[in-house]
Amino acid sequence: MIQFILKRLIGLLFVVIGVTFITFTMGYFAPDDPIKQLLGQHYTQEAYLQLKHAYHLDLPFFQQYYNFLTGLFRLDFGLSFQSKGRAVWDILKDGVPVSVELGLWALVVQLALGIPLGIYSAIKARTWIDTTNMLVMLIIYALPSFVLATFAQIALVSLDTSIPGLNWPVSNWGTPWHYTWTDIQYKLVPILIYGAAGFAYYARLARTSMLEVLSQDYIRTARAKGLFEKAITFRHAFRNALIPLVTVISVSLGFLVSGAFFIEHVFNIPGIAETTLTSVGASDYPVIQATTVVLAIAVVFGNLLSDILYTVVDPRIKSE
Amino acid sequence: MKDRTDRGLRPTRFRTEDASSNNPIAQPGVMAPDNAAKPLEPEMAPIAAATDGDPKGPRQQHLTPFQESFKRFRRDKKAMISLGVIIFLVLLAIVGPPIYQHIGGSYNSTTNGVIGPDQYHSFGHAEVDRLTEGPSAQYWLGTDGLGRDILARLMQGVLISIAVAVLVEIVDIVLGIIVGVLAGYYGGWIDFLLARFTDIMFAFPGLLFLILISGIMGPWADKNLNHIPIIGANGNARLLLVSLALAFTIWPLMARYVRGQTLQLKQQQYVEAAKTLGSSDFQIILRHIIPNLFSIVVIASTLNISNTIISEAGISFLGLGVQPPGSSIGLMVSEGSQYIRTNLWVAIVPCTMLAIIVLAFSFLGDGVRDSFDPRAKD
Repeated sequence: MIQFILKRLIGLLFVVIGVTFITFTMGYFAPDDPIKQLLGQHYTQEAYLQLKHAYHLDLPFFQQYYNFLTGLFRLDFGLSFQSKGRAVWDILKDGVPVSVELGLWALVVQLALGIPLGIYSAIKARTWIDTTNMLVMLIIYALPSFVLATFAQIALVSLDTSIPGLNWPVSNWGTPWHYTWTDIQYKLVPILIYGAAGFAYYARLARTSMLEVLSQDYIRTARAKGLFEKAITFRHAFRNALIPLVTVISVSLGFLVSGAFFIEHVFNIPGIAETTLTSVGASDYPVIQATTVVLAIAVVFGNLLSDILYTVVDPRIKSE
Repeated sequence: MKDRTDRGLRPTRFRTEDASSNNPIAQPGVMAPDNAAKPLEPEMAPIAAATDGDPKGPRQQHLTPFQESFKRFRRDKKAMISLGVIIFLVLLAIVGPPIYQHIGGSYNSTTNGVIGPDQYHSFGHAEVDRLTEGPSAQYWLGTDGLGRDILARLMQGVLISIAVAVLVEIVDIVLGIIVGVLAGYYGGWIDFLLARFTDIMFAFPGLLFLILISGIMGPWADKNLNHIPIIGANGNARLLLVSLALAFTIWPLMARYVRGQTLQLKQQQYVEAAKTLGSSDFQIILRHIIPNLFSIVVIASTLNISNTIISEAGISFLGLGVQPPGSSIGLMVSEGSQYIRTNLWVAIVPCTMLAIIVLAFSFLGDGVRDSFDPRAKD
């Protein structure tokens, strides 16, 4: 097991290096000159060269990349262009907790709502409950998150106008990791919408998985020996139906990473994805590189986690 | 599997026979009877006469795998309705604008003088005193926050969505087949490179890659590609960039599918037979491998289309795709979301349209997967 994890970690190291290389090269060869942009109308040849030297941008490509890589291990991502030499690490420290909070709650929504709904749908298979449920899940799954978010905002606004004095906030984020009533008002809708795509995905998957388990021979045996339906569902079927669900954590992580950009943009949440977007607009390459690496590492470790869980949950799979 | 190899050699006249509506076999729900052992059914007589007594005629009544798949597909109601919706949308996007620009009388605008429908029904034209109006005889779907015709912008947006989808799928299919077949057939270093590259692309969130490319290279594209006619004009300059980046993120998956299929096909006996007969690798790939990739490529690319459309709309929604004088559904959603406090209509129209497009392509993709999967049977 440890050998398997070590092997995967070494493989992942290469993936992370590949990702940093792509990002770094893109920033290096970008047609915009960030220093020129930074100086704006104060541009003089002398100031330009000075600033370029201060940001180490006058070094050759491989020297810069080497510095960038070694910086990563010291958690030193360099200085931001846009916010006048503020350390990128400082910017990340503001954004990451918000994004992690948002993501964790969305994951909870996905699992805690999606799986029971799918299981329930499987128990009620081929009734109208099941059909409508799956149709709704399909629609939620297919719709892009920014359309869902915009619809949610439309609904909130019309709620606000129809119920005077409600004043439910339409955008923004409360204090990270604080849950007073105002914070909950801010956080509830973004989290629900953020989790929606994965939630529908899990519901559909849980239904399929549960249906497959319910058609197994040992379930028939359990029925034949006169067990209560509840005992069959929860003791025999449910636990086995969970196995395939564990493995798709990486998929739901993918939803979370790409969904973050839209949710944080629509609801104006100061997370890491929104930071990336503003940095892209401002050609602030050090920040972009840092956020990209953070997101890629999140995805990579999500994949590793799902692989490990897979071997833990399903004893039939040996980790060779 | 045997039937597929001679698809190219089949004489055309048998195809028209199979497609004939008189043919009971072509009807949904009826299994193809084995005509070799049975006398001709009465309805078949005129057709048999038309084929001029070819002794092999009746045996050709077996449907080709494609026709069988198509038969299954036609029974899928959701997919057929979706196909209808998609065809309607494509027609709307292509012939809609020229027709719409000939409907309506001249209009005395306060800022632009007397103008005809060819102006006020064009997607870039703004009437500053007609902001956020509801549907009317002049503006069928109303106007947006800058006084532009929503229907005209919507049709342009659908056109953009479909154009990007087509472009991305073409690049995806071509790259995916070339690399996938080479990796699967020859293995070795190309296989190794593909595997490593796919690993990196899977770890790299696709949307982030798109954002980086269009954000970093976007201003350059705006400056340098805008003089290209049609694809570069009206703020569409970044579309080419976005499409290529999009294709770049999704082709490794296609290549992986193709590689897997090629590995299987390579083991087939007819490939061995072709090798024994002295066919070159190139001939085998062209004649025996690529035609048999048909179903997997069709399934994978149809399932991909809705994702492609969502990605383009998403990038435009974030302000990194199509630029303002131009129109894209994502851009319309983002512009509309600024008016949700005063005028919901402006946001609801493009959201609904995007929902319709995406759902139609998803249902179509599911239908195609269910009916074209070689393992699928009646």
